[in-house]
Amino acid sequence: MRIGMRIRFRTVGTLLAVALAAAACGGDDDDGTGDDGTGDDSAGDDSSTDDGGGAVDQQVLVDFADQVVIPTYQLLADRAIALDDAAAALDDERSDESLDAARQAWADTRVPWEESEAFLFGPVSAQGWDPAMDSWPLNKDDLDAVLASGDELTQDFIRNLPETQKGFHTIEYLLWGDDSQKTAADFDDREIEYLLALTEELTLITTDLATSWTDGVGGQAAYRDVFTTAGDSGNTAYGSIDSAVQEMLGGMAGICDEVANGKIAEPFGARDPNLVESQYSFNSLLDFQDNMRSVLNAYTGDFPAGETEGSGLDDFVAEVDPDLDARFKGELDDAISALGEIPSPFPAAIQDPGNDAAIEAAQAAIATVQSTIEGDLTAVLLQ
Amino acid sequence: MRPESPHPHTLPAAAAAAVLAAVAAVASPLLGCGGGDDGGGGGDDDTAIDYRAGGATTVKDRSSNAYSLPAANLAGEELDRHRAGDAAFEATFVTGGAPVNNGLGPLYNNTACDRCHGKDGRGLPLIGVGPTSQSLVRVSLPEGEPEVPGGPVPVPGMGTQVQNHAVYGRDPEARVALAWDEQTGAYDDGTEYTLRAPRLAIERVDGESLDGVLTSLREPPPVFGLGLLEAIDDETIESREDPDDADGDGISGRVNRVWDVATGAAALGRFGHKANQPSLLQQAAAAYANDMGISSPIFPDEGGATDISLDIVELTAFYTSSLAVPAPATLTPEAERGQELFSSFGCGGCHVTEAETGDHELAIVSRQAIEPYTDLLLHDMGEGLADGRPDFLASGSEWRTAPLWGIGLVQTVQPGSGYLHDGRARTIAEAILWHGGEAEASRERFRRAAEADRAALLSFLGSL
Repeated sequence: MRIGMRIRFRTVGTLLAVALAAAACGGDDDDGTGDDGTGDDSAGDDSSTDDGGGAVDQQVLVDFADQVVIPTYQLLADRAIALDDAAAALDDERSDESLDAARQAWADTRVPWEESEAFLFGPVSAQGWDPAMDSWPLNKDDLDAVLASGDELTQDFIRNLPETQKGFHTIEYLLWGDDSQKTAADFDDREIEYLLALTEELTLITTDLATSWTDGVGGQAAYRDVFTTAGDSGNTAYGSIDSAVQEMLGGMAGICDEVANGKIAEPFGARDPNLVESQYSFNSLLDFQDNMRSVLNAYTGDFPAGETEGSGLDDFVAEVDPDLDARFKGELDDAISALGEIPSPFPAAIQDPGNDAAIEAAQAAIATVQSTIEGDLTAVLLQ
Repeated sequence: MRPESPHPHTLPAAAAAAVLAAVAAVASPLLGCGGGDDGGGGGDDDTAIDYRAGGATTVKDRSSNAYSLPAANLAGEELDRHRAGDAAFEATFVTGGAPVNNGLGPLYNNTACDRCHGKDGRGLPLIGVGPTSQSLVRVSLPEGEPEVPGGPVPVPGMGTQVQNHAVYGRDPEARVALAWDEQTGAYDDGTEYTLRAPRLAIERVDGESLDGVLTSLREPPPVFGLGLLEAIDDETIESREDPDDADGDGISGRVNRVWDVATGAAALGRFGHKANQPSLLQQAAAAYANDMGISSPIFPDEGGATDISLDIVELTAFYTSSLAVPAPATLTPEAERGQELFSSFGCGGCHVTEAETGDHELAIVSRQAIEPYTDLLLHDMGEGLADGRPDFLASGSEWRTAPLWGIGLVQTVQPGSGYLHDGRARTIAEAILWHGGEAEASRERFRRAAEADRAALLSFLGSL
């Protein structure tokens, strides 16, 4: 695809990046997919190069999968189970304390999901799990109809319900209500039953999602193995390391576009709070910030919420163009800060023109991040 | 641009254009690294795009976004329109009284265009599991009164497609379950392989029998590059016909003649697995009507009512006509050898590499030299693939040659997608092994080839 300088490096601050001049054909491939995948302190700084023509080392893909994607999905699955437990506790004891705990568990589950949105490729897309968990807005008419009906809420019944009446935002609506004034005393048995069915389904989906990367589901190969062997002969998804890096960059840029031009622009442009994501819980701005953290995680190979770290694209960029690395991380910080400057709750903020400057500044900060990904970062990482 | 559905908002499709106008103001340059966002770009680097794939629409992207990028030569208002079309393509429809995107159903297969054509690629052979299905089943009767002249004969109470989902409170037409029957075979060198064929269990909710009903499982095809295919002149396609195999190469190839509702006359069929749609506009309107239960002026409800305007259908059709074709990967020596084998095995007899587009109302797809790897003709593919369900002139064993451009990215875009009309082939090798009829000789050359040669051919196809 392109002939470029090939650089092999090991990271997490331990070893010098080793620059190899172009001489790069051959070398035994696929030695890079070390089994522990942690990538640090390994003495084996072998200097073989990988097939695929990329400048980035395969270890970055390994760490992206093992230190970012999989821990993110595993934390999501764990927290979904905790949410299900919290819903059960609310069922046991209809107190406002139990309700607060369930709401907190929902918000906690939201964090790893939003931090996964810079890598919405692979099984999460193909299997339809993204819309299954995160469809928005919800279909209140049919939700009310189910609540009013005598339908038995079996797992099979729930599985066949449309996605616009289950998942994160239906759970959110049940927990908070329309005006966030809901108390534990407002819940009837049917709502609790419905809530429990939805939180249970969320545990099944999030567990499948994590498993799809670690072990594979439905007869598919573990997606971790697909992604980390990019460039190996026989890899039918990623013919080169470059294509995998392009996947990472595309996901990072894509979520920036989605936050600035979708999640913010659509409700802001229409000044319509009904179009705001996570409007019942007033969690919107945290969602957006976690989306930007997802970009940072994908770039650095670290996942602070899961206390994992690995080699990342940043190590390569810092070696080749340290100013660019510093600038990009600064831009991400700025975007997260700019989102923090918008008064919460976001559904109210978009209706007050006095907040327009802050909202537009956040959009611009996110657009700057996106522009750097598509411009300078792409130039350094893929040329 | 908005990569496909990173977040499945239900967007107000009708407001998409207005919203997108605002979006365009802050919209960023193309994601497609090096794809060039205006006027072909890329001319200034040493990794120039291989324009043969989709002419000047071609982008350079081998990631899961590869099918989802706007044509590289799209700019200005047309690029804005493409983005608005993208939003329409993603819009999830809901039940009657909802404030936005209402009109779903009451019967349907899925709720948004991109729920079947995820990331603008193939769907998965998933049907009857969960609240929506990516694949669908077409039905018809062997004889009777067709819906339109020359078309399939509808099944009373079902029409020509099984809608196996329904809005809350309504029953679907039928419940569909899909299982697979496996069969084994062997390459000439003794290496064994396993193929699978679909087995459908369809149970009508009204209890009516399905005896005598013709059925055909369909996996959604990818939707990029379609404007270029629409821009190929009828004459070019007709010139490739050889219905009586006059040249004696074992390959005939003929045009389907289908019904164009806009003109109320027969027209050359070019879209769909049996080439049963004459235009992208009609294809899009039919998908809204049949797959989602969304009526439009092209296919209104029985009472003449419509759920969406013609503008929305046109926007969606425009979106599919202006999606780029991804450039192939640079050929390795092995893939280069595979390219030669592609030719010597005779694959190019139907998967005709090159085409020239003619004049089209959309200038960016006009007069382009492209490499779609299809003749857009119907071919008899043998008993193994036959569905026994004719569609206009297409017999029960004829299928339209599938374009092969971008086929090396199928598993990148949507891992788990299948190949062939019903997704039965899990790999490209399996797809080749299913070829029969006019393609039998080519298939046998592949089956008898040495392992290294088979690998080389697959390497070439994987580079597309």
